[in-house]
Amino acid sequence: MTVDAADSPASLGRAVFEEADRRASDYRDLEVSLRMILRTANGRATERALRIRQLEVPDDADKVLVVFDTPANIRGTALLSHGHRFSPDDQWLFLPALKRTKKIASRNKSGPFLGSEFSFEDLSAPALEKYAYRHLRDETLGEVECFVVERVSTEDFSGYTREVFWIDKREFRTQRVEYYDRRDTPLKRLEVSDYALYEEAFWKPRRMVMTNLRSHKSTELIWQDYTFGLGFTAERDFSVSSLRRAR
Amino acid sequence: MASASPQNVISVSAACVARVSGLLVALVVTLGAIPAQADQLVFGSFKAADNASNWAKKLSQLFAREIEVSPVTRDGTTLYRVHSRALDPAQMEQLRRRATAAGIEHWRLLQTDSAPVEAVAAEPTPPAAPRTPPRNEPQLGAPRLTPPSPVTETAPTGAVDDSPAASGGTRQSEWDLGLQTRTFAEEGVFGQDRFEGSISLEFEYFHGWDDDRQSVTVTPFVRVDSADSERTHGDLRELFYSRVGDNWDLHVGARRVFWGVTEFQHRVDIINQTDLVENIDMEDKLGQPMAQLTLVRDWGILDVYALLGHRERTFPGTDGRVRLPWRILDDDATYASGAEETRVDGAIRWSHHMGPFEVGLHHFSGTSREPLLVPELVGGEVVLRPHYPVIDQTGIDAQAFYGDWVFKLEGYTRSGFGDRHVAFNVGFERTLVGVFGTRADFGIVGEYLYDERDEEAVDTLFEHDIALGGRLHLNDFADTQALLGVIFDTEYDEYFVSLEASRRLTDTWQLALEGRVFAGGKDLRTTTPFGTLVQPEYKSAWLQADDYLQLELKKFL
Repeated sequence: MTVDAADSPASLGRAVFEEADRRASDYRDLEVSLRMILRTANGRATERALRIRQLEVPDDADKVLVVFDTPANIRGTALLSHGHRFSPDDQWLFLPALKRTKKIASRNKSGPFLGSEFSFEDLSAPALEKYAYRHLRDETLGEVECFVVERVSTEDFSGYTREVFWIDKREFRTQRVEYYDRRDTPLKRLEVSDYALYEEAFWKPRRMVMTNLRSHKSTELIWQDYTFGLGFTAERDFSVSSLRRAR
Repeated sequence: MASASPQNVISVSAACVARVSGLLVALVVTLGAIPAQADQLVFGSFKAADNASNWAKKLSQLFAREIEVSPVTRDGTTLYRVHSRALDPAQMEQLRRRATAAGIEHWRLLQTDSAPVEAVAAEPTPPAAPRTPPRNEPQLGAPRLTPPSPVTETAPTGAVDDSPAASGGTRQSEWDLGLQTRTFAEEGVFGQDRFEGSISLEFEYFHGWDDDRQSVTVTPFVRVDSADSERTHGDLRELFYSRVGDNWDLHVGARRVFWGVTEFQHRVDIINQTDLVENIDMEDKLGQPMAQLTLVRDWGILDVYALLGHRERTFPGTDGRVRLPWRILDDDATYASGAEETRVDGAIRWSHHMGPFEVGLHHFSGTSREPLLVPELVGGEVVLRPHYPVIDQTGIDAQAFYGDWVFKLEGYTRSGFGDRHVAFNVGFERTLVGVFGTRADFGIVGEYLYDERDEEAVDTLFEHDIALGGRLHLNDFADTQALLGVIFDTEYDEYFVSLEASRRLTDTWQLALEGRVFAGGKDLRTTTPFGTLVQPEYKSAWLQADDYLQLELKKFL
């Protein structure tokens, strides 16, 4: 795949995302711990801890398992998502008090995730096929040269009318995202930083800050302890029955 | 099992423990050796061998530990990886902490044996999906790896890593303490107090090994109640051993299993006995001793259960509230089966999801979880003796998704309570995200609860009832949520209102509120006590004075 500036805005936009996707591919599986720090406009903060496990699926979108550690009242709750390229993703929530696995509507992924400024939609890496792309312009963010590409969901389940990504030209890493609501006003802004190279191949962010541009609340995500090559399998670690024993 | 006392309830659980732990020991002994762990910690990779060896030298001094350099080839480029020697989990944890504290970026390279790093780096363990061919160099942008310094761009966050070590196994323990008060609107029909206070404690311990492929889970529970001696009770909610295979799980011991999809009543949920004295919502369950085998296949998930013995339903005592007018001999039941409570029951459930559909089919053959309450005279006193028939139940639970709508059905055909009969719940749930321009979610639930036996359905209150509810989730810091529901009988005037709400006070304290109102039922004084047993319109008459508000403060340790 090559990215050629002579392409139309649509094909250049898609090419940027394809290249970013290609570079993030072949990781096979990973586990990462997250600290989520929620801040109000006047600086009051509260913290959560969770872990994410992810599995690449040949010819399909990723499978993702999220396990919540704190706050304690939701400890043991787990969320499983089976991504799909051409149909809506499947999502299940495991509620430990009842030992109940509940399949939830895709629509639910656009709501606030754990009371934070992130939605589950913002955290998952959906299939390329589910969006239409448009290259808007090139822009330098700080000292980093970026492509600015707009992405519009072709499904009904997105909480946004469009998302605008700043993706650096050197390594195709997302540096900033702006999310637009139905009135096409910017709702949230995500700043992504502290990228590190793992496994000599994968640039992963270690810090994200999502700011709600209306309420001025923000959520900081600290990603730590990336581990790759755990040998996860779809049946053992990402099946609906495995959700009952997610730790 | 003799008279009803808390000690007795606990001793019943203890008997189950003994039965299960015998099996456990046998299993653990046969399950063989645990493969050794030998992971490495990697501190970055360099294009220049010199840079790598300088960095390795620096780290060796800093950590007082041997740090090595190995060449790794990826995408046709050779890089020099700086890494520790193979470490056991304790060493790994120590080195990770020190690296984090020193602000040095690192990642873990997993191995399942102590093969040399070069071999592992070329083909990481274990073999799973085949690697795709090397990537082409992108046309735009600089080469993939330029920095001569370690390839992290900024200083790490310096946070201390307190996540559980993934290699070896997980250890988790948690205490849940509950301080609960129940205040009733009126004094009880039998002069029971308006106030009831209780303390509960649940401890959960998980111990995994062999990368959590094997584990033991233990969850004892105990409650001490100020008013009702039957509610002062304990149970072993869980004590089981698990073995996780590549596409199967085996669990042996006392566990909790949930089946079903509807919200107001869990009609097909049959594996566990209800701990009714805990809550009339039937969502608290006693641990069920079992062996469960789960198979994960392309055609769905198959669960096969051998249910090792029967647990008797708990009921409020004579000083308790929300009860029938007669004493229930809940520890002295009769059984249709000659084996009584030692009968081994069987169950099987297949479930699968296909696009917007999810479906489960099950069959259960064994002793019913619902007893018939049979009146008899004991020393001049009318008492109710539970009788547990043997039943066969074949059922379905299914959901269909359409936009933000979910349509639900769960039901069964069951033999054993008179003629074979059908019962089902059918309904919908719709979740609106971001209602009224806020960040709150609002869910609407509507269900119809049906039992073919109609007025002869003595084991359920819901034989022809409509249920409506709303669930509000504010999505705020405190995780505030509320669920309001109303169930009303379509033939009589009785209805039942339930409110459940909770919010977090701090990271480890939570306040939960629960309100129940029983209304519209016939007045007790218009019939005889025996009349309430045989006249269906009096089914909820005894509960009419039992409206209550429950407050519970929960502490998670």
